[in-house]
Amino acid sequence: MSPTIAPAEAWLPLPPAEWDAAAARHLLRRAGWTARPAETERAVKEGLAATLDRLFPAQPAPLVLPDAVAKLRAEAPALARGLQGATDDQERRRLRREARERTQAALQDLSLAWLQYAAQPDQAAFAKWVLFLSDVYVVGIEKVKNTVLIADHYDLLARHALGPAPELTKAVSRSPAMVVYLDLNQNRPDAPNENFARELFELFVLGEGHYTEADIKQAARAFTGYRQLLGTYRFAPRQHDGGVKTVFGETGRFGGDDVIDLAYGQPAAATFLPHELVKFYLSDQPLPPEWLVPLGDEWRRRGFHLRELARLFFGSRLFYAPENRGDFIKSPVQFYLGLMQDLDLDVTPLARTALVPLRQMGQVLFDPPNVRGWVGGRNWINSSTLAARRQLVEALFRPLREEVLNADEQRALAAARSAGPKRFTVERTRFAALAPLDPGAATDGLLGEFLALAPTAPFREQVRRYLASAADDATHRGERLRRAAVILLQSPEYQLC
Amino acid sequence: MPSNLPAALPTTRREFLQWSGRGIGLLAFSRFAPAFLVQTSAAGTAAPETGRPILVLVQLAGGNDGLNTLVPFEDADYYRLRPTLAIGRDRVLRLTDTHGLHPACADLTRLYHEGRLGIVQNVGYPNPNRSHFRSTEIWETASESGEFRTDGWLGRFMDNACAGQPASHDPVGIHLSDSEPQSFASPHDHPTFGLSPRGGRLRENEENRRLLEALAGISGPAENDNASFLRHTLMDSLVTERKVQEILGAYRPEAEYPANPFAHSLRSVAALIAAGLPTRVYFVSLSGFDTHSNQANQQANLLGTLSAGLAAFQQDLVHRRLDGQVLTMTFSEFGRRPNENESRGTDHGTAAPLFVMGTRVKGGLHGTAPSLRLPPNQDLAFSTDFRGVYAAMLDRWLGCPSEKVLGGKFAPVPVV
Repeated sequence: MSPTIAPAEAWLPLPPAEWDAAAARHLLRRAGWTARPAETERAVKEGLAATLDRLFPAQPAPLVLPDAVAKLRAEAPALARGLQGATDDQERRRLRREARERTQAALQDLSLAWLQYAAQPDQAAFAKWVLFLSDVYVVGIEKVKNTVLIADHYDLLARHALGPAPELTKAVSRSPAMVVYLDLNQNRPDAPNENFARELFELFVLGEGHYTEADIKQAARAFTGYRQLLGTYRFAPRQHDGGVKTVFGETGRFGGDDVIDLAYGQPAAATFLPHELVKFYLSDQPLPPEWLVPLGDEWRRRGFHLRELARLFFGSRLFYAPENRGDFIKSPVQFYLGLMQDLDLDVTPLARTALVPLRQMGQVLFDPPNVRGWVGGRNWINSSTLAARRQLVEALFRPLREEVLNADEQRALAAARSAGPKRFTVERTRFAALAPLDPGAATDGLLGEFLALAPTAPFREQVRRYLASAADDATHRGERLRRAAVILLQSPEYQLC
Repeated sequence: MPSNLPAALPTTRREFLQWSGRGIGLLAFSRFAPAFLVQTSAAGTAAPETGRPILVLVQLAGGNDGLNTLVPFEDADYYRLRPTLAIGRDRVLRLTDTHGLHPACADLTRLYHEGRLGIVQNVGYPNPNRSHFRSTEIWETASESGEFRTDGWLGRFMDNACAGQPASHDPVGIHLSDSEPQSFASPHDHPTFGLSPRGGRLRENEENRRLLEALAGISGPAENDNASFLRHTLMDSLVTERKVQEILGAYRPEAEYPANPFAHSLRSVAALIAAGLPTRVYFVSLSGFDTHSNQANQQANLLGTLSAGLAAFQQDLVHRRLDGQVLTMTFSEFGRRPNENESRGTDHGTAAPLFVMGTRVKGGLHGTAPSLRLPPNQDLAFSTDFRGVYAAMLDRWLGCPSEKVLGGKFAPVPVV
């Protein structure tokens, strides 16, 4: 892509005169999951700067870990003792199996808890920001095999998500999940494992081509002795190579943190994360370096502060440029949570209705395909994932068939409802406000609420005619509106933001 | 332009060209032409093969109680474990001197005696998981109990069977359930198709589809590659959808199907098979088997639905001489606890029997029955690994090396 705004102006703040409802909707959809009319109105009224302060607050509310994770953590020492004390293989196998089942069940609870947390409009932007960081600092349950470590990794990302990036990177190097995921626990002075050092340079801080194989070999030595025991980070001094290393031309008795500081001293560090940011939030097309460099320079000047980066990026002229609006394919998570918000729904606390659709659409939380994370963009879409998106929409407009739910699912529903009334599927009255309007006005209401861009006249006309063909009474009009909404949410337009 | 938009998308090249000829210019907005336009029979692509073996998978969701399905009526332990739920000897539909089917399974009993029904006994897997979600996942992905994997066994079958084949527009797999079964999941894009078992009113569906087709055919305000790509992908499935609806609408079954959604789904499968679609696997689901309380009536109704539906389907196929091409197999995420609970129900268990129906099936009982010499609250120990049944379907029916799909050697159960 070649942006319409010159590199020197691209990252200047958006002029206040250009901050309108369309710009606010663009920000809310890209930084969060969708733009509810009330949220848009509020953002316009408060102004861009205040909105960014609110979306990326100094003290974001963290995700409260579900009980199953806490229990799993509490029982870890006993399980380890049990395994150690087990006298025969059969007993060991039984204990391992039990641990596996518990971790799988806890992962399900964690995934549902995250969805419920991220679905709150106030937390959407921050939750998505952490999801972005988790797509850079990738770990996956498939290798880590322990939900407690995964949950702690996300918590660590959240705690450092809006602070200085080098601090985040250092914390990640001590994240027990990362220690397992990139084999730091296998990294010994006599047999260095380069996995972490390589990904540190290639996927976390610099990008390919900005380091040598020698840099990796030497850096790997600095990360020896990084261990975890029962989910707690431990530095093992006797496993650490305290010798002299040469990394990026600098020589010294470097430890891991020194190497991370050296990496952030490289020019590529300023543009690497901005490049990832563009890919995750702005466009499938990489931004040419001339545009990334000024953003990187400014970010470096602001101490690699992540909150500053968010404000720079989401407040910039380039972010709001016309070519960056309405052409980005929603990820499954965004599609799902966007629907929850657009349709005023609560996340159903069932794997069947929340996690299964996500999997069918191609995204399993906490289980990215590999160390590079999700590829995104057009890779989200194929015949079956698109069908899954359409089926999800259909399902949300039908009453939950509780009679076919299994007993444990019925219990989970009852527990959720005991905390207050819940809306798991779209209510009959959801479009009541539009029903009295004439078909043209009702069409504009629907389109304006759901689509990122105002559609073309023929598109609008199709929807208007569909609404106009309803029998002229409130029931039929309401029903028609619901069905028009279903089709609109299944249309190519709604897959974009 | 909307005024001269045709009522529906073209489903053939000829219709398409006529459409374009009227100046609609479907291609004008898109770099991505619908797949059926890209494939030409002149371009060296073989016509999709029809007449190849087809597998219909029937999911009994919730965990069907195996002991009350295939009843060991000579086993005193069975009556000890099931004081209120046991099915009396005189009510059992006898298959052998020791085993018989639940009284609701009259049609299946007849098929058994005709040699068209094979029953694999006591099927399960090591380290059974008792979570519905997880155990279903294990069955659908054909993985080890402790393994996380997301691709399904039929998805991997498609990976193997379809590699190197011409990209076809027609679905390799069709499911009649609210959402795609994990069995079909694959990292590769195979054309699959879903048909809601509940359908809804036909006229309404028709109107809805027309609107979606119309919307998919109109270029958007920011017409970029992503938007056209989405249009193209959606258009492909809408074309399939129309084709499928036309087939279903025109179908005249040659058997009387009971009036319930499950039988209706099987009727749709028969219609699609009769229409000669190249689809190799179908997936149908019947749910409600999670019988923790008052099991007797609930399971009887479900098994009755299953038995009558399967029998009608088989008869339809026989009358159309398609029975030699189709095998139907049931599965459930687990069986239930041998001893009944305090609520006249049964809790989550482990192994259970499964049915394989078809003219080419090796009828009779396969494998061995579970031992019921069990202390209280103990589960059945499986004797046949479910992947052995899959291996039979892959190696001996679908014609696909099972090792590639199952990631290991499993001796095929000789049910086919």
